[in-house]
Amino acid sequence: MVRLITHNLLACHVKGCTSNNFPLEFKDVQVVLRDSEFNPDFLRGFIPKIEWPALTGAARQLGDTSLPDQLPEMQDDDFLKVLHHVLLEIHVEEGTMICPNCKHNYPISNGIPNMLLAEHEIG
Amino acid sequence: MPDFLLVFAQSHSEFRLPELESVAELYGFPLSLPADSDPSRPFMPLQLESEEHARLLASRCILIKYVYELYAQGGNYDELHVANSANIHLWSSYAHDTSFKFLVTAYNHKIPESRQRNVVEGFDYMGFMGKIDLKNPQIILGCFEEYDSSAGLAITRHDRDGRFRQVYFGRLVVEGSARALVKTFDVKKRLYYGNTSMESEISLLMANQAMASPSKLVYDPFCGTGSMAYPIAYFGAQVFGSDIDGRQMRGKAGKDQPPGVLRAAKQYGVADRIIDLCTFDVTCNPWRCGDLFDTIVTDPPYGVRAGAKRLGRKKELSEVQKAANIEHQLSARNKLEPYIPPTKPYELSLLAADLVVLARYLLKPGGRLVFFLPTVNEQYEEVDIRSMLCDGMLLVANSLQDFGSWGRRLVTIRKATDESYPPPSFEEEREPGGHVPGHKDFREQYFRGFKKED
Repeated sequence: MVRLITHNLLACHVKGCTSNNFPLEFKDVQVVLRDSEFNPDFLRGFIPKIEWPALTGAARQLGDTSLPDQLPEMQDDDFLKVLHHVLLEIHVEEGTMICPNCKHNYPISNGIPNMLLAEHEIG
Repeated sequence: MPDFLLVFAQSHSEFRLPELESVAELYGFPLSLPADSDPSRPFMPLQLESEEHARLLASRCILIKYVYELYAQGGNYDELHVANSANIHLWSSYAHDTSFKFLVTAYNHKIPESRQRNVVEGFDYMGFMGKIDLKNPQIILGCFEEYDSSAGLAITRHDRDGRFRQVYFGRLVVEGSARALVKTFDVKKRLYYGNTSMESEISLLMANQAMASPSKLVYDPFCGTGSMAYPIAYFGAQVFGSDIDGRQMRGKAGKDQPPGVLRAAKQYGVADRIIDLCTFDVTCNPWRCGDLFDTIVTDPPYGVRAGAKRLGRKKELSEVQKAANIEHQLSARNKLEPYIPPTKPYELSLLAADLVVLARYLLKPGGRLVFFLPTVNEQYEEVDIRSMLCDGMLLVANSLQDFGSWGRRLVTIRKATDESYPPPSFEEEREPGGHVPGHKDFREQYFRGFKKED
């Protein structure tokens, strides 16, 4: 867990941290690959929500370079299978996600990220 | 359009119609409920375009026990037989050599065997020549007498016999197959659950209100031990869960095992569809954008067994305390002693109102919010629910599960707009003067035994 689909949806939400707060940077991660059922309809529905550079950046940081720099206009099954793998089959089990702006650390433990803020960060 | 007879399970009558409507909408066929349909009755005649639609309803509605093709009904047997004779075209093709079984039963009553035989003989004019086969009949014919409840009536079974409200007759089309899921998801057989886990039948009804289906993205912001996630994922949807208390999702098994929610999900073969579980307070949430989810479905903690919490402190700290506290937060910690921020109670009526505004932000156009709201029966008014709605959000259904002095309402709300909305402010101070709903301070009312304050 902490799949890249989730990573692509989470921004730093510390009070006042509203710019350059996405994507969070991975640090000291343990990655596990797990097969997952391929659902092209789900992927097509989700593509409009993807921040593409954030996704390719995160994938490369985790050692996967299979995605093209730009979201291709033709989204055939071959492409969707690659996207499926990156979005849903790479799991970050341990490590930290760090806000590029305020440097808040969001620790990941046993696959569950702790996105709770400290008392002084909620304002 | 052919007439059908729905035979409902004898529970959760207020959930029957919303479930039918949701499942019909899910499969994209029209459902025209008769204006006089009374969902508190266990038999419901219903016109459907085709037998296929009847089968779809029976495959997914948790509360449907059987669907019959309705040949006739009446207030007495004379009326029934006149109507049945007029519908000879519906059953004459079975008369020659179709093997059959004949059921005669009653609701709220038991028909003596001798009269059961008389009832069957009363259908002699149909001229069914096929073999009677009790084990593997080609068709099953059913005759149902519906009695009003005998509770409180000084009348013997013998005297009551035959004094039914209505009698129905037809051919079994299909047995409800979704009802078996109530056992499949039985909480007691689940590998991981907690004391607030939702019973399986209700969680399945919620999944139907949520119209869970493949390729949908669903979010539970008060995920807890994951009761909602399992049936939703079972119906094919992908689920996100979050909770302010990560221990609910993890369980006590420690780091060598997957989190508890995933262990239970694996038991049901749906672990892969739990996309992720995150620890955060929904009032300080990290979602990057809105218009994300097809459905938000949740059972918020309402304070009987577990109260809702949000980040913050009940009492403000002094400046000196604040400084000391920040130092405490920033001091280096090992993994075994993570910093745990303070929380304070999240009052139920505020939580419910926030949930609607949050859903308007996070749902895709047309998406649904499905959640439980506990209410005090004596104080509940319809306006309590209406006043929670905001611009763009429409009430779809509101069904009570009654526990006597209180109950909980399964509320279904639809985002009926294409517009995008900003995230809610989650401010704690609200404009005074608005409607005060009966569910405000539910926890305090519960522990007071729902008596009025002195």
